[in-house]
Amino acid sequence: MDIELSKEDLEFQAEVEAFLDEHLPRGPELWTKRAEWFIALKEKGWDVPNWPVEFGGPGWSATQHFIWDKVTSKHTLPPTIPFGQVMLAPILMGYASKEQQDRFLPDIRDNKVMWCQGYSEPGAGSDLASLKTKAELTDDGKHYIVNGTKIWTTMGHAANWIFCLTRTETTDIKQEGVTFLLFDMKSPGVEVKPIYTLGGSHHVNQVFFTDVKVPVENRVGDEGKGWTYAKGLLQHERKGLAGISRSVYAMEKLKEKACKVPAGDEMLMDTGFKKKIAAAEIDLLALEYTELRTLAEMVNTGSPGHSSSVLKLKGTLMQQTIQELTLEAAGIYGAPFGHKKVGVKFGRAAMEGYLNGRPATIYGGCSEVQRDVIAKRVLGV
Amino acid sequence: MDFDFTEEQTLLQDSISKFVQENYDLPTRTKAIKSKTGYSEDHWKQFAELGWLALPFSEEDGGLDGNYVDTLVVSEALGKGLIVEPYFATVILAGTALRVAGNAEQKQKLIGGIIDGTVKATVAYAELQARYELDDVATTATKEGDSFIINGEKSVVINAETADYIIVSARTSGERASSKGISLFIVDAKAEGISRIDYPTIDGGRGSEVTLSNVKVAASDLLGELDEGLAILEEVRDQAILALCAEAVGQMELMYKDTVEYCSQREQFGHALSDFQVLKHRFADMFVETEQCTSLLYRATLEKQIGAPTARRTIHALKYKVGKEGNLLARQAVQSHGGMGVTEELRLGHYFMRLAVIDTIFGNYDYHMDKYCEQMDIPEGGDGEDFGFMM
Repeated sequence: MDIELSKEDLEFQAEVEAFLDEHLPRGPELWTKRAEWFIALKEKGWDVPNWPVEFGGPGWSATQHFIWDKVTSKHTLPPTIPFGQVMLAPILMGYASKEQQDRFLPDIRDNKVMWCQGYSEPGAGSDLASLKTKAELTDDGKHYIVNGTKIWTTMGHAANWIFCLTRTETTDIKQEGVTFLLFDMKSPGVEVKPIYTLGGSHHVNQVFFTDVKVPVENRVGDEGKGWTYAKGLLQHERKGLAGISRSVYAMEKLKEKACKVPAGDEMLMDTGFKKKIAAAEIDLLALEYTELRTLAEMVNTGSPGHSSSVLKLKGTLMQQTIQELTLEAAGIYGAPFGHKKVGVKFGRAAMEGYLNGRPATIYGGCSEVQRDVIAKRVLGV
Repeated sequence: MDFDFTEEQTLLQDSISKFVQENYDLPTRTKAIKSKTGYSEDHWKQFAELGWLALPFSEEDGGLDGNYVDTLVVSEALGKGLIVEPYFATVILAGTALRVAGNAEQKQKLIGGIIDGTVKATVAYAELQARYELDDVATTATKEGDSFIINGEKSVVINAETADYIIVSARTSGERASSKGISLFIVDAKAEGISRIDYPTIDGGRGSEVTLSNVKVAASDLLGELDEGLAILEEVRDQAILALCAEAVGQMELMYKDTVEYCSQREQFGHALSDFQVLKHRFADMFVETEQCTSLLYRATLEKQIGAPTARRTIHALKYKVGKEGNLLARQAVQSHGGMGVTEELRLGHYFMRLAVIDTIFGNYDYHMDKYCEQMDIPEGGDGEDFGFMM
């Protein structure tokens, strides 16, 4: 048992740091120079770190991924939308035809097409396999006609394309008869309605399909086997949602904020508040090692296994704990929600974080589902 | 980076669990607890023969030069077996004090005997008024010619009853609770002026209130520098916490496993208890917190191993977390077992009592929370500007 990084890993860490120093845009340039950043990443061969080598990925080891996360978590990177590169691409690589891969993957890699995910439905949330959106093959066998609705579609209002789980057959086993389709959001019959979440944000939507015509060549893999394709990715998605390196950084920032609050003395001198910070920090010390242990497991077996459920469960709770404590530090300035900067500077952001952080324990398999997974897969009950 | 045990460590683990399986069922353990010394002298001899007592000592002192991970393996395995032999008092408490502060002569006098099983020892650090503070020492040691005269009362001294030597903390200068002025002495347990009230502890162990009245020790029995004993005690505490928490984490693991197994067999309302989601989710939480405690145990142990400057703080974090989560898990395990959980028939109840006791040794979870807070990094400068969480 040992935790020291090898000489090669230390060199890689230095290389990542040097790359960020040279290429990462800062401040307002994050937006104006983001194209240059993506080009620099691509030239370095680091633009799609999670992709296999044969599809252009860098072939990093689990430890190298960890180092990348750790180093970049301390910086603001130009934002990317995860649905294409992180969620759809692995499914295409695993199950799509060569023609489909050639057609879709280059634009995903270059962020040219924005994708959204059509999974949840009003009647199919945690119980995703109960989805009802219907896809019927036309008599000539050339198209599917899609009818139904998807909900909580993140960035659906901005997306160009959607990857969608549809039902082509209703059988006793609801995981069967699910078909994985790709289609253009501008297709006739697609309608997007915004859903405003707490605090007035518009990230998610409900999407309605009325007789949407989808060419049969846009089906990934076999008809009726879409559930298997979608499910394989869940373990990886869960691990990614834990955001532990980011929480370590956010914890540091929370303490800085708490030191700035005039609460008679600084908030961090308040014993009660300090103990809450300490309790979260201790949990995070443990969580970082739980992640490292999972990584070590991945090096050995190639899969995060069901530790990904532990990480998702605890990691998202940790994000929320930090958000709650940040809001607590803001005190009475958690209430003002306009754009005027008043009182405690981080008050509005603290409230936004608190509100926008709620879904973390709901999406990607809610905490209750993760507990079910642990009970069933790890403990065998 | 790797979290696997070495082949030697796995063999060690196997040999201890084999010993437990073959020699240590609950009735045998109970018999040992009720015997005069409170444990089996035969078992102790076997521990010595198998080399378990030699592990943490240097080769120079006749030991096996084991590291902190080796001690973790031994403590965890012995803990799973609910071992009542005085391993913790002799090897971890007294052994650590001797390893870190003993001079050549003192090491020679004691360590060889500890390794071959002929010498048992303990450390008397606690006092009634001190609660968990190591520096609150009212016992005094006064220099008189070439000797020291010790007077005072020591509390809950683990296995003092069978110890050949007791390492005693006493004040040689300063006010009652000042950090400087504490010295450690190796005291012959049969020295004139020592009296004891011996008693069983609820975890199957033995403790004593030890009174020292005009106990005379030679100046050569001073362990470490005069007035500088606190640093030694703190080092003993760090290493003792690593061992105790390794033990506790092993017990947590068996408690959640026993709970899942028991609830899978027991039926009520026409179902196995484990069919009920309220219990499944409790099991999941028990598993998750055991994993988290294991992670923190590894972190603290490895930080100690590489001499990280944060090691002591992480050890406080560990004792806090294991004290809090370990006892919560223990209560959940008993609750899930229903009436059977409160009997002495299952090993579960014995783990429950041991975890409660572990929390009292060297400071409970609340105490270590305070210690952690004292050592927490407080940012200097920095305006806390960040970018919040993105989806």
